[in-house]
Amino acid sequence: MIQRMIQRRAVLLVGSSRPRGTSTSGELGRYLLGRLEPAGFRGSTFLANHLLDDAAIAAFLAAVDAAEIFIISTPLYVDSLPWLVTRTLERLAAHRRAAGAHDGCRCLAIVNCGFPESHHTRTALDICRIFARQAHMEWAGGLGLGGGEAIGGRSLEAAGSMARNVRRALDLTAAAIDAEEPVLEEAVRLMAKRLVPVWLYMLIAEFGWRLRARRNGVLDQLWARPYAVEAGDVSLASAPPGPPDPLH
Amino acid sequence: MRALIMNGAHAGDAEIDAAAAFLRRELEAVGIAAESLCLRDHRLAYCRGCFNCWVHTPGVCRTRDAGRDIARDWIRSDLVVLLTPVTFGGYSSELKKALDRVICLVSPFFVRIGGEVHHRPRYARYPGLFAIGWQDAGDEEEARTFHTLVARNALNMHAPVHGSRVLCRGGDPATGMRELAGSLPIGNWRAA
Repeated sequence: MIQRMIQRRAVLLVGSSRPRGTSTSGELGRYLLGRLEPAGFRGSTFLANHLLDDAAIAAFLAAVDAAEIFIISTPLYVDSLPWLVTRTLERLAAHRRAAGAHDGCRCLAIVNCGFPESHHTRTALDICRIFARQAHMEWAGGLGLGGGEAIGGRSLEAAGSMARNVRRALDLTAAAIDAEEPVLEEAVRLMAKRLVPVWLYMLIAEFGWRLRARRNGVLDQLWARPYAVEAGDVSLASAPPGPPDPLH
Repeated sequence: MRALIMNGAHAGDAEIDAAAAFLRRELEAVGIAAESLCLRDHRLAYCRGCFNCWVHTPGVCRTRDAGRDIARDWIRSDLVVLLTPVTFGGYSSELKKALDRVICLVSPFFVRIGGEVHHRPRYARYPGLFAIGWQDAGDEEEARTFHTLVARNALNMHAPVHGSRVLCRGGDPATGMRELAGSLPIGNWRAA
């Protein structure tokens, strides 16, 4: 038993390029690794923006090779995974396929987005699930969080009662990982719960954008269209209307 | 009419490179000025998620590189065509790096569309969005995810029309090229 506990390893890949303490993805992953420690897991954290050279990526690949659970915690970029994560997963999948890896490594993903609704993360979570299959990992499950900006990179403990469902979801997830079971539906449901009402989130977020623009002296330029062209230069107006999706 | 072809093929992917050249010829044959960008040939920084393109230099990424040109060419096109190996149901890293850089084309402010929250358009008009992905082998789950992703991108990038196609590698080149041509709404423009 002691031997098994010593050998349990978890690898966390953080997809945000924001500094520590300002990344919600980093804090979600950090909290989960902390909850895995009592179960005997030793966690290693890799920031995707630090995996840009061959030596760093080699260390990351070796760590995943030795891991029982691989955790992706990332923000949503344009409906899917950021370039940093996409590139890292391409490398990891190619490595595992080349090595013929079929060990017991499991994969879990946490995707947070700036929209208040968590369902914007579904496509990115689907991509993570397909990655796991193609990299010969067992899919443990995915958690989607909406309104991630409300946490704003604070620790989940510091986020107080607003983040209680997030903490509970991750507590349940840690227990599931320890028991080598899939992520519970209850954890998925709790993570997907809104942190604040949509109207309030939109109000605060839009106030925040205006405040930052004002500090930067560009409040009156928030609606700038720097790439607009003179009417008539580009024939956008003459593009024929069509059905939303003519192919499907 | 203007079209922007964004080729997200990795180095050595002759099939997608050939498709990019073919599509450019097809579009130009019907009078559409087509620009084809082979993204791997451009030095492009990755998006750092700083949102400076919203609150510091609104509408423009602060990084001065080809990413700015891509955003400009995107919004000035009638049609954007994405070409990519289907990668876990999504785009290749070559293509994703460029796509992450076009969020400057929308506003940070929100709007409800179909009951969900999205970013407001910054510009009055946006190009149609089409994507063609190549699979090594038929993978229905991957193809379904790819189609969903393109539809979600079209929604968030305010594309007036959109579509996606998934092709298998190694098929008959003539058939493949016909499928490619059929993937684009060229006929609409030809008739217009």
